[in-house]
Amino acid sequence: MPPAAFSPERGILEGDRGMKGHIVRNPKLAWREVDGEMVIISPEDSQVHELNETASLIWKHAESESVEELAERISAEYDVSLEAARADIGELVAALEQKQLVFLATEVKS
Amino acid sequence: MNLGTIAELDYPVKQLDSCAPLQISIGNVPLDLFIHEEALLAPALRRYREFAQSSGNGFPILLNQRETPTKESGGFSYLLDDAELVLGARGAEFHGVRHEYALDSLLRILLTMVLLPQRGFLLHGATVVRDGRAYIFFGRSGAGKSTVASLSPEGSVLTDEISLVRYSNGCWQAHGTPFWGEFRAAGINRLFPIAGLYLLKQAKDDRAEPLSLKQGLRALLPCVLFFTAEKRAHETLLHTLMGLIEEIPCHRLHFRRNAEFWKVIAA
Repeated sequence: MPPAAFSPERGILEGDRGMKGHIVRNPKLAWREVDGEMVIISPEDSQVHELNETASLIWKHAESESVEELAERISAEYDVSLEAARADIGELVAALEQKQLVFLATEVKS
Repeated sequence: MNLGTIAELDYPVKQLDSCAPLQISIGNVPLDLFIHEEALLAPALRRYREFAQSSGNGFPILLNQRETPTKESGGFSYLLDDAELVLGARGAEFHGVRHEYALDSLLRILLTMVLLPQRGFLLHGATVVRDGRAYIFFGRSGAGKSTVASLSPEGSVLTDEISLVRYSNGCWQAHGTPFWGEFRAAGINRLFPIAGLYLLKQAKDDRAEPLSLKQGLRALLPCVLFFTAEKRAHETLLHTLMGLIEEIPCHRLHFRRNAEFWKVIAA
């Protein structure tokens, strides 16, 4: 099986490609889980960001699960449809990308 | 950068010079200030007189002694107006220091770095001692730190501006600092176990509102003096602050700028 490569790609999750990708945390950030929610510091500008419970769950599992797996997790955890979970994740990733907290890495088959 | 422990920071690489250092200790961090210029030495002796302490192994700080700062690979440097701090694992250099205020500012920056690996930090806050325990009232400029200090009995205030917090001997302690604001004083070089942390909020009543861990962390972060953009340093700071607020209660103190606030703290 050929090795998979990941390339950063900006933009919201779209179609099958987005669901197969991973959400990658900005490696420059420092963060800490507090009472189940993430507090994130951007060391370069000292900005502090807080994530709500759902966003924190996604942040926590972002790099070990694909977007589709995260959607399944959200769907099961909060008893919402898979479609709704996908849409929520898409909105969330777009918002987090805008703040440069994450980027979407899409799997590229070589 | 890894500043290591204070034991690793103790000894200079070589004989520095013939100038006898001004030996001080702030927050139990021994510092040897090598100051050649009388115009700087005299005010420094005055300013840090309460913190004079001979240790024999202070962290060496050379003032204005080389034309070109010595840059160590992986070291930390910070430029503040015309003055510069260059920090290495075995000593620091201060350059372009023209007056005691610049010296004081660079010392604060240096301490933030040296305290960091030792579960310590500087906080914009007044520290007041009551019944042998320290109460830290923190907040940004104008929050009321000096007011709290001025409303407290003489001799009970460890600082009205910059508090030094450090974990040692099994507990979180507040140390006196020579860093003062409006309520000018030489400071008190003593330490006391911390009883509580209070984010100041001027209000029409006096009450203490408990803060959750997350709220406490969010309240403290903007008030911590911090000068490095390094990720690992921020992670260490987060770890230290969490350790503190997991043990020490943190409140938002609504207060009316009079001494009545002590009643709600005592309650």
